[in-house]
Amino acid sequence: MDELRLKESFARVAAHGDEVALFFYSHLFLSHPELREMFPVSMADQRDRLLKALGQIVADVSNHEALVPYLGGLGRDHRKFGTLAEHYPAVGASLLATLAHFSGLGWTEDLARDWTEAYTVIAQVMTEAAAEDESRNPPWWGATVAGHERRTMDITVIKVVPDVPFSYVPGQSVAVESEARPRLWRFYSMANAPRLDATIDFHVRAIDGGPVSSALARSITVGSRLRLGAPVGTLRLNMASRRDVLLAGGSTGLAPLKAMIEQAADLAEPPRTHLVFGARTAAGLYDLADLEKMAAQWSWLTVTPAVSAEPDYQGETGTVADVISRQAPVGDHDTYVCGSSAMVTATVSRLQSLGVPHDHIYVEDYGWSES
Amino acid sequence: MTQVSSEPLTPELVRSAAFPPARLGRRGLDEAQVHAFCGWVSDEVARMLNDNIMLQEEVLRLRGRLLDRSAKPGARPEDSHVQAVYVLSKAQQTADRCVADAQEYSREIAQDARMRHEEILREAKVRASVILEEAHASASQAAGAVRDTGESLSAAERQELRAEIAYLRTFSDVCRTHLRAYMESLTRSIEQWERAEHESASAARASVRHSAHQVPAQPIGH
Repeated sequence: MDELRLKESFARVAAHGDEVALFFYSHLFLSHPELREMFPVSMADQRDRLLKALGQIVADVSNHEALVPYLGGLGRDHRKFGTLAEHYPAVGASLLATLAHFSGLGWTEDLARDWTEAYTVIAQVMTEAAAEDESRNPPWWGATVAGHERRTMDITVIKVVPDVPFSYVPGQSVAVESEARPRLWRFYSMANAPRLDATIDFHVRAIDGGPVSSALARSITVGSRLRLGAPVGTLRLNMASRRDVLLAGGSTGLAPLKAMIEQAADLAEPPRTHLVFGARTAAGLYDLADLEKMAAQWSWLTVTPAVSAEPDYQGETGTVADVISRQAPVGDHDTYVCGSSAMVTATVSRLQSLGVPHDHIYVEDYGWSES
Repeated sequence: MTQVSSEPLTPELVRSAAFPPARLGRRGLDEAQVHAFCGWVSDEVARMLNDNIMLQEEVLRLRGRLLDRSAKPGARPEDSHVQAVYVLSKAQQTADRCVADAQEYSREIAQDARMRHEEILREAKVRASVILEEAHASASQAAGAVRDTGESLSAAERQELRAEIAYLRTFSDVCRTHLRAYMESLTRSIEQWERAEHESASAARASVRHSAHQVPAQPIGH
């Protein structure tokens, strides 16, 4: 396989942008109409993801150390969509047809061979990772909503009972799909450490116009069915560290941090932990009652609520970053930050300016922006 | 002698071509006759070359059609498959736009609802603090009145103060009820647009299924 030729050929095809993914999926669904049901009605995000994944694969085609784990993750990840080994040849055929179509006269037998070879390897790594995962985990976990508590206009705390208990590390998240919005998966952090009764809390913030978050926060009820993917995410408590801990949570970014506090409570010697929990309005401090209960119970835990858009709030006002600056020095702390993109960016840069080394800052960016 | 004629050129005619001797006083063959013969041969060869090109094109065309037929049954399946891909792509783009429009609409309504929600809360807060201030003022006035009159507050005045306190309590209850009604109507309108959003999403889904079925499924071939 000529890797340079492959990269050049992909660059030429990828120049057609969204058209390429559009052609690919239409070709796939015409050749295999039964696969259409595996995808959501709107394919715009899906096309974006396909092009990004292909770009990533082609960019790393010579870098096997990066490519193999990426493809393995992709293969495992696709199990929850219902992808089976027999779907891979269909995808390969449509991919080749798409590449040929957009290459026009530049499509040669050599290129066809290169791509066939490359796709064979891709499919092999993905299916092998999926098969290996199959011996340990189901493709997804079914779960029933057992509690649906609307805390503010936008924020709801959901309690779910998985059909089969599944293990995760506090700080991790799972992709969630609701029967109200089939084929749309969004990531949510577990908001508690694993419990004996296996129930899991999710803190859901309805994003304006967001189909899944709105449905989870407002439409579903106790008894609704959800599907959960495998736990993922790198945010987790550094148990080896002896340093004090600072947790910075913006709105529902609190969820993984709360799970980590519960995890710390089980340690023989919990680290001294300070949680700064921020929201725009006092009403947005949707979980403060519970947090204050925890702080009253555990002497090693301090909770500081912060409100940024209500100047007359009886407490700390300003952003989470502002409040951290005003509090005790944090230079020798392990710091964990989770919230909206803007909150994470602002807080991390403040922590750095306060002297927290880069490798003592752990981050989870929820991607949404607070309006 | 028949060197130049309208009949088609044949190898035999060229080989058996005979030319009369040149006129008296000149050597060799009759020049004019030879020239005329060469002209005829040249014209004929040109015509044959033309015929040949046309025939070759015809052969290519027929061979192409033959290959198409033997490779895949049906007329030009590649072309029709590409056509079908384009039709389906158009349908998909329409569906994408419908969903995006619905989401944008729901985003606008949600934003609007949040703004109104916050506005109502702000107003209610202001009103509540005014009421509280008024209550404080009346209370301190009443207390002042009590101090001024000492123990000698008459039963009638006491009655009046009690009535005022009762009035203020009722007023505060009414305010709270109003506020609750505000919030409930807000929640109801949120639920309404949620339902509307849900319905439009189902409609979009149905329209996608519909268009997908309209695409001719026959000439797939792969």
